[in-house]
Amino acid sequence: MNRVLTVTRVQLVGWQNTLGWPWLLLLMIFAVNYALFLLIADREGNPTTGALISIYIVVFVTCIHWITQLLPFSMALSVIRRTFYLASALFLLVQSVLFGLLLFCCQLIEDATDGWGIRLRFFGLNFIDDLNPLLQIAIYTMPFIVLGFLGIFVAVFYKRFGLTGMWLLSTATLLGLAGLAALITWLDLWSGIGGWLAGQPMAAWFVGWPALLAALFAGAGYLTIRRVTP
Amino acid sequence: MTTAVRAERVTKRYRDVTALDDVSFTLEENRIHGLLGRNGAGKTTLMQIMTGQLLASSGRLDIGGKSPYENEAVMSRVCFIKESQTYPQYFKVRHALEAARLLFPGWDEDFAQALLADFRLPLGRQVRKLSRGMHSMLGIVIGLASRAPLTLFDEPYLGLDAVARHLFYDHLLTDYAEHPRTVILSTHLIDEVGELLEHVLLLDQGRMLLDTAAEALRGQVVTVAGPATAVDELAARNEELHRETLGRYARVTLRGTFDTAERAQAKALGLDLEAVSLQDIVIRLTTAHARSGDGVAGTRKGEETR
Repeated sequence: MNRVLTVTRVQLVGWQNTLGWPWLLLLMIFAVNYALFLLIADREGNPTTGALISIYIVVFVTCIHWITQLLPFSMALSVIRRTFYLASALFLLVQSVLFGLLLFCCQLIEDATDGWGIRLRFFGLNFIDDLNPLLQIAIYTMPFIVLGFLGIFVAVFYKRFGLTGMWLLSTATLLGLAGLAALITWLDLWSGIGGWLAGQPMAAWFVGWPALLAALFAGAGYLTIRRVTP
Repeated sequence: MTTAVRAERVTKRYRDVTALDDVSFTLEENRIHGLLGRNGAGKTTLMQIMTGQLLASSGRLDIGGKSPYENEAVMSRVCFIKESQTYPQYFKVRHALEAARLLFPGWDEDFAQALLADFRLPLGRQVRKLSRGMHSMLGIVIGLASRAPLTLFDEPYLGLDAVARHLFYDHLLTDYAEHPRTVILSTHLIDEVGELLEHVLLLDQGRMLLDTAAEALRGQVVTVAGPATAVDELAARNEELHRETLGRYARVTLRGTFDTAERAQAKALGLDLEAVSLQDIVIRLTTAHARSGDGVAGTRKGEETR
């Protein structure tokens, strides 16, 4: 465990580039959006930008870089795969919660300032406004975790099985999904599934099922990394 | 003497290549070992297996009695510096050193600072913007300052100028004398490190051609020059690695046990035994092996027909 914590500290080395960069980028995008909507001066439409997604994409890419760049470096400094993986998972979880909290705070400020004075919704997600704060934070947090573990898994898979492996994996995934869709159509289950999905509470939609998916990616990544060559 | 590394019949096969073929050896603790061989001989593969980065297809390799693969206790005592090391894109020189300081229990910060000053490495420069030689220097600084009980250098000095290379040798020797540890050095610049090495492993096409103490090896291989008849007499009793003839004169590189009796006899024949440099020994052994196609045993066959 001690070693896992040490490796998370290695991930913090040069943190300005890993933790700071996503936020810097988000702030720059925010500035552009703010200027844009200030010029348009469309106060009635209650504009929602959707540019928030950029920070999620940046975190996804960062997680891929952990495997393609930080893993080979750490292994050269005698870190074993298991430790590196556990440290990355821990780092990702803590970072996700932190980022989720920060986004939620930004959203609070946004609300309090009536959309930064121009009724702009940059951080707010309209559909979750009525939920309790904890659930809102979880909804901000979860995509970081899912995308992070997806990025880690894909990068580890690529490192282990190469381009051919990636091609096989994506083809198999597509075929599997298509087969599932065909099966559902054949059994005429779409309306039933649709009804069941619609009946799911918000928490299951945005937290429960994503958490399951993240756990799946995390497990698959852990099993795959054990035989990776840096 | 304790054993630092023990390999038993280690084989590594890729789809159509056998990178290591039934390699067995033991390395003693607190020595400087040279791992020599041509490009593609299997040196890097062997070092990767030693550091748990690769798994052998068959056979067993232990460090201090335990397999290094995914073994925290073993690996925390190992440092592996290779020429083509990847660093995270955003890393500056000081970031790489900071990471090393965190990860190596025996890290010596003062020593690292002294090395940095000697090599004139700019701390604030991004690693990917370093020149080839500076990139190598960074690896060397980490490798030396880590003070890992088992330190491996794989071709550590690509692009390094002669001054920096000698700085490396000097620091390695001095620090090794003060803090004994097991060093494995893979290199092509054999003559430069010849004096450093206490033990030599020679790989060729995945096979171990040589596994011997450097001192013993220097006594084992000699060059004799003189009239062909006299040279032949000596060559008949030893393994012939290389021969050049010029009319009635011959110049032959031989491998055998050249004890006092043998040397006296050579003197009686009017022949001088010349020492051969480690680099020439390696070249002669490797080319003799390639000629015979079937290892050292092949040259012995040649001996029998004579």
